[in-house]
Amino acid sequence: MMSMDTFMAVATGGLVLGAIYALMAAGLAAVWTTLGIFNFAHGAFIALGAYLGWQIAATQGAGLGLVAGTLGAVLVMFAFGILVHMALVRPFERRADIVTASVITTLAGAAIIESAINLIWGPRSRQMPQLVRGEVDLGLLRIPQSDLVLIVVVACVLAALGWFLGRTRAGRAMRAVSQNRQAAELMGLDVPKLYALAFGISAALAGLAGIFVGGLRFMTPTMGTDPLMKALIVVILGGIARFTSPIYAAFLVGMVESFSNYHVGLYWTPAVLFALMIVVLFLKPSGLFSHHQRTL
Amino acid sequence: MTVPLLELRDLSGGYDPIKIFEGVDLVIEAGESIGIFGPNGHGKTTLMKTISGVLEPWSGDVIFAGERMNRASARGSRRFRNFNYDAVTRRRMDPKRVARAGLIHVAQGNLLFPEMTVAEVLSIAPLASGGRNLQGADVHALFPRLTERRGHKIRYLSGGERQMVSIAVGLLAAPRLLILDEPTLGLSPKLRAELCASIGAIRGLGVPMIVIDQDVGFLTALIDRLYLFDHGRIARVLPKADIPDHDTLMTMLFGEALT
Repeated sequence: MMSMDTFMAVATGGLVLGAIYALMAAGLAAVWTTLGIFNFAHGAFIALGAYLGWQIAATQGAGLGLVAGTLGAVLVMFAFGILVHMALVRPFERRADIVTASVITTLAGAAIIESAINLIWGPRSRQMPQLVRGEVDLGLLRIPQSDLVLIVVVACVLAALGWFLGRTRAGRAMRAVSQNRQAAELMGLDVPKLYALAFGISAALAGLAGIFVGGLRFMTPTMGTDPLMKALIVVILGGIARFTSPIYAAFLVGMVESFSNYHVGLYWTPAVLFALMIVVLFLKPSGLFSHHQRTL
Repeated sequence: MTVPLLELRDLSGGYDPIKIFEGVDLVIEAGESIGIFGPNGHGKTTLMKTISGVLEPWSGDVIFAGERMNRASARGSRRFRNFNYDAVTRRRMDPKRVARAGLIHVAQGNLLFPEMTVAEVLSIAPLASGGRNLQGADVHALFPRLTERRGHKIRYLSGGERQMVSIAVGLLAAPRLLILDEPTLGLSPKLRAELCASIGAIRGLGVPMIVIDQDVGFLTALIDRLYLFDHGRIARVLPKADIPDHDTLMTMLFGEALT
């Protein structure tokens, strides 16, 4: 049996992983639901976001601290996402084979981004500077301050995303385009601009996730591959009927991963997650938390 | 001389490789409304989709308020082919540009955005330039039923209610010309009467329309001219005074043999 302290530590670890996966999955789903394509460069976005943040924050870089690094990385990634959309996706938008074409172009984009990181920063792993050190005592449990900051920031960002999609004109227009492109066009909504916006938001979320992943593990040019895989599981597991459905699934996957790491071992955890995904696909192919596919 | 509101010059189009309509010439002067009548499957809806830019015109021009809405030809920009998105993707017409110029197409059987509420859908229509600007309150006066349904998701609405939302969204965009493609198709008699009354009221507000419908009586009340559409061509044009009843019209279209 686990002691209470161990249980709490493992659960906190699951919460942290879940928060990161939620950020990634929300970003993936934003592009998937709106444009109808899967962005395989999302993992590379994470790595690029982490390196950009490191460059601004670390003392070996500009040395401006982690807050500036995070803001800078998120802003640059937003612009970068729009650029990637214009270069890799938009030229193929009206074609019937857009889905296949975008698989190839986004995979190519991932390879190019990872190679560029390798060229610029080198293959040696780096460490993201920490914002806060030490633990915070919440009575029942003691958790590292950095974990607490991470969970609070993610909660705020996801709440802001929900507010944007539900309450603002641009957010509602984005949902409209994802649900019926032709009707949106006929209304006079600027579909290419909304697609670019979706890509930008997606990349900005990936950049933020990258900062957090870089804080948990060492940074390498391919650091995004594993989180991308997990986020894919999350999106399939949760479905994407609402923007909240992958978020529930993200915390479920984070918890399962954390407890499986402790009980089953690091080596078998991916197998546990994929088994869980296969079971869900058997029982509820549209995802645990959804009835319909492809709406935001 | 005033500029016509809409002018189609020798327009043809369809779904590659099948040509659906060709040689359509049509002029709507400012303030006029027209009706289009014809059998199903002869290209009325395809023509409307081409006017609003959802489909590409194969040849000919769409001129709205004196402005040509289609690009001359993708071949014209050969020099910049590799850098021009529109040439690469073969776009010659931009539905957004058409809508923002004030030509609003209320599509047939429009499913809109199933997961959004009525209020949300009504909040996102962008304003076109120069059209008659209706406010949310006007729209709710035209379609009282929508006021009760504000908080409901589109997918829980009936077909007629959905059609009302579609038209309401079109009106909020400040249309200079409203295309209504079979607005009463498949509705219950009660909803149909309600919707026809609302459309009549919209016409009364001075919003010019192109209306496609199978009910000649309903059409005649709204329009200045009726175009008979047959096998992808305009077969005849009838001024309002000369529009006969439904049976005579069918004879005109199909000849004696079918009656």
